[in-house]
Formats: sequence, structure tokens, C-alpha cells
Amino acid sequence: MRKFLLLVVILAVATFGIAFGTTIHVLVWDDVMSQAVQTLIPQFEQTTGINVVFERVPSGNPILTKEAVGVTPTQSSYDLIALDEPFVPKFASAGLILNYNDWPEGNVYKKIDLNSGVILPTVFDAAKFAGNIWGMPINGNLYVWMTNELMLDNPTYQKEFKAQYGYDLQVPQNFTQLLDMAKFFHDKGLYGFAPFTLRAEGSTCEAVWMFSSFGTGIIGLENGKYVVTLNKEDAIKAMQYYSQLLQYSPPGANSMGHPERIAAFSSGKVFTMFQWPALIPNSENPNDSMVAGKIAFSVPPAGPAATASVRGCWVLAIPSASQNKAAAAEFAYWWASKDVQQKLASMGMASVREDVLMNPDLIAKYPWYKAMAESMKYAVSRPRFVDYAELSSIVQKYWLAGVTGTMKPEDAVNGMIQEINNLLKTYNG
Amino acid sequence: MDENKRRRRGFPPSLYFILPATLTVGIIVAFPLFYAFFMSLFNWPLVGAQRTFIGLGNYLSMFEDNEFINSVLRQVGVVVIAVPIELIIGFFVAILFDRKFPGSKILRSLVLLPAFVLPVLSGLTWRLMLAPQYGPLTYLMQIMGFPNQAWLANPQLAYATVIIQDVWRMWPFMFAFIYGGLMNVPKELIEAAKIDGSGFWNTILKILLPVLEPTIAIAVMFRIVDILRIFPEVYVMTGGGPGDATMLFSLYIQEQAFSFFNIGYASAMSMLLLAVSIVIAIFLAKNVFEANES
Repeated sequence: MRKFLLLVVILAVATFGIAFGTTIHVLVWDDVMSQAVQTLIPQFEQTTGINVVFERVPSGNPILTKEAVGVTPTQSSYDLIALDEPFVPKFASAGLILNYNDWPEGNVYKKIDLNSGVILPTVFDAAKFAGNIWGMPINGNLYVWMTNELMLDNPTYQKEFKAQYGYDLQVPQNFTQLLDMAKFFHDKGLYGFAPFTLRAEGSTCEAVWMFSSFGTGIIGLENGKYVVTLNKEDAIKAMQYYSQLLQYSPPGANSMGHPERIAAFSSGKVFTMFQWPALIPNSENPNDSMVAGKIAFSVPPAGPAATASVRGCWVLAIPSASQNKAAAAEFAYWWASKDVQQKLASMGMASVREDVLMNPDLIAKYPWYKAMAESMKYAVSRPRFVDYAELSSIVQKYWLAGVTGTMKPEDAVNGMIQEINNLLKTYNG
Repeated sequence: MDENKRRRRGFPPSLYFILPATLTVGIIVAFPLFYAFFMSLFNWPLVGAQRTFIGLGNYLSMFEDNEFINSVLRQVGVVVIAVPIELIIGFFVAILFDRKFPGSKILRSLVLLPAFVLPVLSGLTWRLMLAPQYGPLTYLMQIMGFPNQAWLANPQLAYATVIIQDVWRMWPFMFAFIYGGLMNVPKELIEAAKIDGSGFWNTILKILLPVLEPTIAIAVMFRIVDILRIFPEVYVMTGGGPGDATMLFSLYIQEQAFSFFNIGYASAMSMLLLAVSIVIAIFLAKNVFEANES
């Protein structure tokens, strides 16, 4: 009888998958969204009985280093990690993270069916590599275009612009208009655009945005081997175009990061620029911004070849060596659940769920949600490549040299191609 | 066990006293060093576990890696330019403070302040001070008639700024060492020289410099070893950019280890950095201290 009772208890625990008192270690990036999630965790702990140690680490190298050191094939310090999407291939190919198909079913919260369309397919692509899905994208992060409505609706500017260029001043629809408007406002002592030109991942994103808009990729797969697909002519045109935009940007355009861009746009002197949704609240805060409530959100202007919106999602992944996979999956399902996503969205955090993003009440409160959903149709990713960090470093180096005038665009493109070829030679063997 | 027995066994009692220190040093210093050397012999990706023994492969790769060679040259440039400037400023300020004047005690403490500023804070402060739109230094320079310049966006200026920042932060270190040395120089020596008609420069060259040589050597040695490890201030100021303009050796090691995950290669470079530091220390110790002893 005793043995039977013991068996029943064991089976019950096994069936429910997670035991009360389980503690999971979650490693995520640090921004307003992860801070907001942390405030909701007690609700998850109460519902599931799972304790969560939630570690927020600055994005970029700090979190990547922790993940690289803390997650190995045989042991893991974390049960759930947030991977910046370009690094999914590295961790997936090393066998460090679990295929999404192998994620346990949720006990309290339902596992998201990828074919249900709840999360947009373009967002789920962030977690894809080599035909498999390696986790769950948890923030709908991609380029959203912002235009200063105070400048846009100014009758004097409208009249003068029309007289000078022959069409209405509006949210720029294409690159020709973007350049015209940037020049127009620069001539007025204002600025047309705010670039990203620091030697950081943001510059790779700018390069990808421009290259895609001009119709060229960077690398691609051919017969199972990676090859350079960067078209010289298109790449040179992209660099030249961006160089022109820099001329109409604020002083110090050659060394602008997000703080400088946000400050410039919020001061009301910049006409138009892209922004990541997580950073939009900075410009919509009336205490910090002179353009709060006066921003038009849209998809990025169309380039000569395409409209492109660079995607930068965080992907929740379960380390293969995690001892608490079921509890980790439960936490991920909770985070992606409609209830939690709605709570986050009502705090201004962009959702990955289309049903939340397109909620009319939320769109009225946060107008960039609609632009985000639209932009997702034009989402482009950075190259999906195992040694992405090296590739990105090369792209940054030559892109910045080409657009800031340290090198001629022709030389910069040649240098970029040559170094990427060297990298691929090593990678392809 | 009595003393005789212990002696017979060749087990001196002093060993008991140095054992804790030896063990501590062994664990804290020696083990990481050996482990770093061990890693440097492998192609060791930080992500994943497939490491392969390649012997001295990483060391040989360094000399085919242009980025590595350039980063070393940049680092040598910083050392060769910054350390002498810090030495000269520190030396003359020490001489200035050796003469008592009103407020010298307070000023002496104040000039030391930059050396206590955390490198990362110093880098951030300089970055903000030089911001093209809102930086106070940029504003001051504009008032003085200079054009609005994005210092950290121009490769040459960014490199110069890294050096200026280091000089600003670390000349007080040189000052502290040399001032300490100056306090121990017998005043009679200087006064005797003055009575004999020795001028300011002559006193410095013929008396102070020879007397202070060991002190200066130690200060320079510490500074060189320290500046070879320069990292956080440059990382937050420029991140190695623009382009590769400020990608110093230490930043390149970090990039290889934690951006590209080549921990074996990064370890090999770290071992080289350590070897260079040791060689410099031995060279200075041998040439200066032994010369003084003889």
C-alpha cells in the first residue's frame, strides 16, 4: 500500500511536470520592458508555485558574456535566457538551447501554437535557424519611423516646401522625399535626420536597413555554403545616400548613439528618424520631450528597391542543460500570454501578439503600436550566421568608414567584401 | 617534535609562516595564470565545448592577424606618448609643491583627485564633456573660436582624446611618487648646489634626476604595466572606434574573448601582454636598480 501511495505521488508530480517550490533562474536584458515584467512576477509565482530569480543585465556584451559563460552543453546556470536574435544561430548550432518543438507543454499557461498566427510569423523568424525554431520571441522590436508633427504641420514650412519641391510636406514615403525634406529643414537651421553612427550593433542595423532598401543583402547560402551577396553598386549607393543624410543631421552626426539621437529628436529640432519601440516612450514623455504627443508614427520610407524595417527581437530560449525545463517553459508561456502581454502593452511595452498590438484602445493610447504592426510586414533581419559577431564587426567598421568619409565608399565596400570573404573562408573551411 | 628532529628532516619552521601566503598567492595568482596559458594552447570557443589542442597555434596566428598587430601598435603609441607626458607634468608639479606656498597643502591633496576617479567614470565624463551638442568642453572651445568638432568621431582626435584623458587622470600618480621621492632628498644637497651656483635646470639634471632615478623608474614601471591594461575608460569613450582608431590591444583581447568567443586566442594574447609587462619590469629593475646598487 505504501509503495502504491508513493508511486501515486511520484506520478502526480511527474504528470504535472512542475513541483511547487521549484526555483528557476532567468537571465534577461535590462530595459523598461524587463523591469515591467519583474513587477508582474509575484502573480506568476503565486499561480504556479514556481519561484523566479530574475536577473536583468545590460544588453550587448554584458548579457552575451553571461550567457556564453553560464550556458554549456552539460550544465547551465540559467533555466531561461533571453538571446539577442542574431546570436540564436551561435547557441543553436552549439547545441546549447532546446528546439521549440521539444519545449514541454504548459501546465497552467498554454504553449503558443506557431501556426495559430497569434504571434506574427515575421517575428517568429527571429527564433528560426537551419529550419528549426529555437525559442520564443518576446518583444516585437523593429524599426518604427517617427516624424515631428510640429514641423510637419507648420503652415509656413508647408507652403515653402511645396513652392520649392512641388509636392506636399508629409511623412516621408520614400528616400527621395526623405532627402528633400532633410535638406529643406537643414536649410532652415534645423535638422532633417538623426543617424546612428557609434561603433556598436546599431550601426550594423543601419547598414542592413540601407543595404536592404537599396536591394542588396550581405551574405547568403549557396549550395550549403555561405557566400558574400553584397552587391557593390547597391552598397556604394547606400553609403553615398546615408552620407548625404549625415550632412543634414545635427552636429556630431558622426558619433551619435541612442542618447544623442533621443535628445536631438526630443528637443524638437529633428524632423524624422527611426526608433526602436522600447525607446519611443523617451520621446513621448512630456517631462523629457518637447515633441511628446506630437509625433507621427509610420513604416520607414521606401528605398529604391524595397521598404525595410530592421528587426531586433529578444528570443527566450531554454538551455539544453537546464534542470527545470518545464518550469522555464511555463514562465515563457506566462510572459507571452495574452493577459500579461496586455498588461505590459498598457504600460507602453510593445507586444509580440498581434491581438494585443492591434487592440483599438491601446492604439489610441500608444499610436506607435499600429505603425509597429505595419512595419512588421517589411521586417528584415540581420544576417543569420553562426559567427555573426565577427561579421557584424566587419560591417560596422567599413560601413562607418564609408559613410563618415574616413574611406571612399568604393574602398569601404571592397574592404568589407574582402574581409567577409576571409571570414567565410575560415567558416566554410 | 623537537627542533633537532625538524632540522634533520629539512623542514624549516619558517616554512609554516610562509605557507599561508604561498598558498594564497598560488590560488589567486598562479592558478589563473596557468589556466590562461592552458586555454591559450587550444582552439577554445567560449560558446559550445568543442575545444581542440593546437599547441602554439594561437601564438602563431597573432602574427598573421593585422588587427592584432595594429592594436599592439596603437597601444604602444599610447604608452610612448602618455607616460612621458604624465612623468614630465608629475615631475614639475612635484618640484612646485616642494616649495611651500600658501594653500599648498590643500592644493596638494586636490591635484591627486583625478587619480582616484574610477576609469569607467572618467571615460564617461570625458565622453559627455566632448559631446558635440551638449558637451561643456565643446562649448568652451566654440567660445574660443574653434569649430564645433565631434572629437570622438574623428579617428585622429579620438586617439588623441584617449591619451589626453589618460594623462589627465594619471599624472597625479606620477606626482605622488616623485613628490614622495623629493621629500627624501636631503635639502642640504640642493642648498649646497645653489651655493655653488647651480641654476634651476642644472640642479634638476645633475642632482635631482640622478637622486630620484629609482623612484622615477618604479613610477614609470607601474604606469607602463598599468597603461598596458587600459580598458574601461576607452571602452566607454569610444568602444574602439571610430573604425579601429582606438582599438587598443586590451580592447582587442576583450573583443576576441567576449564578442567573438575565441577564448583560446584571447588567452594567448593575454599571455603575451603578461610577458611584455614582465619583460619591462625586469628590464627597468635590472638597469636602474642594479646600476644604482653598483
